[in-house]
Amino acid sequence: MIIRPRSNRPSPSNKLGLVVSELNHMQDDLLTGLGRSLLSGSLDDERLMVQTSEPPAVQILPEANVIKIGGQSFIDRGRAAVFPLIEEIVQNLGSHKMIIGTGAGTRARHAYSVGLDLGLPTGVLSVLGTFVSMQNARMLHYLLAKHGIPFIEPAQFPQLPHYLAERGAVIFFGMPPYIYWQENPLVGRIPPHRTDTGSYLVSEVFGARSMIFIKDEEGLYTADPKKDRHAKFIPKITVSELEELDLHDVVVERSVLEMMKHATHRRSIQIINGLERGNLARALNGESIGTTITSD
Amino acid sequence: MLMRESLLDKDVQRATETPVFRMLPDADVIKIGGRSIIDAGRAVVYPVIEALAHSLKTKKLIIGAGGGVRSRHVFSIGLDLGLPTGVLAQLAMADSLGNAHILGTLLAPYGVVAIPPDIFGHLLPLFIQSAPGVIFNGVPPYSLWEHPPATGRIPPHRTDAGSFLLAECFGCKSLTLVKDVDGLYDRDPKTNSGASFIREIGSSELRKCHLETLPFERVLLDLLDTARLLRSFQIVNGRRPETITAALKGEHVGTVIHADHQPCRS
Repeated sequence: MIIRPRSNRPSPSNKLGLVVSELNHMQDDLLTGLGRSLLSGSLDDERLMVQTSEPPAVQILPEANVIKIGGQSFIDRGRAAVFPLIEEIVQNLGSHKMIIGTGAGTRARHAYSVGLDLGLPTGVLSVLGTFVSMQNARMLHYLLAKHGIPFIEPAQFPQLPHYLAERGAVIFFGMPPYIYWQENPLVGRIPPHRTDTGSYLVSEVFGARSMIFIKDEEGLYTADPKKDRHAKFIPKITVSELEELDLHDVVVERSVLEMMKHATHRRSIQIINGLERGNLARALNGESIGTTITSD
Repeated sequence: MLMRESLLDKDVQRATETPVFRMLPDADVIKIGGRSIIDAGRAVVYPVIEALAHSLKTKKLIIGAGGGVRSRHVFSIGLDLGLPTGVLAQLAMADSLGNAHILGTLLAPYGVVAIPPDIFGHLLPLFIQSAPGVIFNGVPPYSLWEHPPATGRIPPHRTDAGSFLLAECFGCKSLTLVKDVDGLYDRDPKTNSGASFIREIGSSELRKCHLETLPFERVLLDLLDTARLLRSFQIVNGRRPETITAALKGEHVGTVIHADHQPCRS
């Protein structure tokens, strides 16, 4: 960017002041009309914000698939669930790029329980949840280490494209890095943006080709199938249709559904049963197994 | 109770409402506007620094810094290049961090410096004990994980939000936003000379006004609704630095926005 002071010559006494003032305002003929409006306008002016949808956002990693492996639903089951999934991931390494996020699970529940009893703020609970999600990421990472797949923290995301290109996959913890800045939920005090949300946002910001949630059920049901034998399976649904159902419990964090409404790129997600052999490959190959939830 | 339960079950969620511990109840959070103050130059900044220095003698201050015109510029270029919201959020962190360092330089004689974001949250209670105040970059660590906004692509959680969320989580005494207007008006006072000043208003009431512009980040209205500890904040005019000192003493000298309903408990 070139900063160009005005061409008409100021008097020597206020020349410094004028240059400082020009620099402070970042007068720049190179900026677009929108750019100039952003410099001078209010970022809380809805009329200006509407204009910032253009030009369209680029897809940073269009070939990448984001896969989130459930904590409670999957990793907490141990070897019986995890080993076959590790094998499937390895089998798909040659044909699909995978950014693999991990859930938290039972230990996070315990930490939240202890934290709530002690009256700890939601932001602190978020820190606790992050540590558990990180443990799960580390464990899976060691099981995939012989394939040269790294575990990366948010600070290392700048290196993600390199690792993905060189090794075909990376592992990260699904919890978003909000820590003390986690928003309060409307109801209760559990952090509302957890590992589904963190993983989903990675798929959205990178413009990935998929967002696959690996759980221990076929997908979305009208109720928790573990508790209600009459729960009906839902293979495909939109976010607004799902909201209308007003289900007591849902298979994916509600925050994901909320964000899907405004997403630029990732306007569908897929939930599959990772306990069934071959489902990951099917989902990566574009088959509509499990439940697909779309933004519209 | 939580161990094998679904955290998305509405009954489970409701049952988790418990009172919240205040980590730093004697600290005040004050956010210094980027464009409104720090970019405005020596004539505006030095008196603000003096007001802060005066308050630092008796108060513990957590000082956030806005991003200013450089954030606007990087948003402008970033949007033009088609970069998504999360990337814009990540880029903007650097501008407010720069401004935090500017404030840190001028407050260095008081031992009040800018703390790197990675350690700031974790060490804040230690720093606030050992110095009269600390400065942080104001931006929450959302970065690539910023939420897609309802309209357009500008990151919704910026430095007002970062300061609010910090004050809320740490249970601080107050939040003051230092801008270059006296507070909230029914229209932008910079472009409408007939604008009326609003001394105090609730978040729901304010939403109903459908004001086209606000002197603070719109997301603060949502954050107020879910706040458990920080139930109001005040906007003051940094170009009248005596209002900074007064606000930090707990006086109502600008516009106070308060939460006007209780977060859902049943």
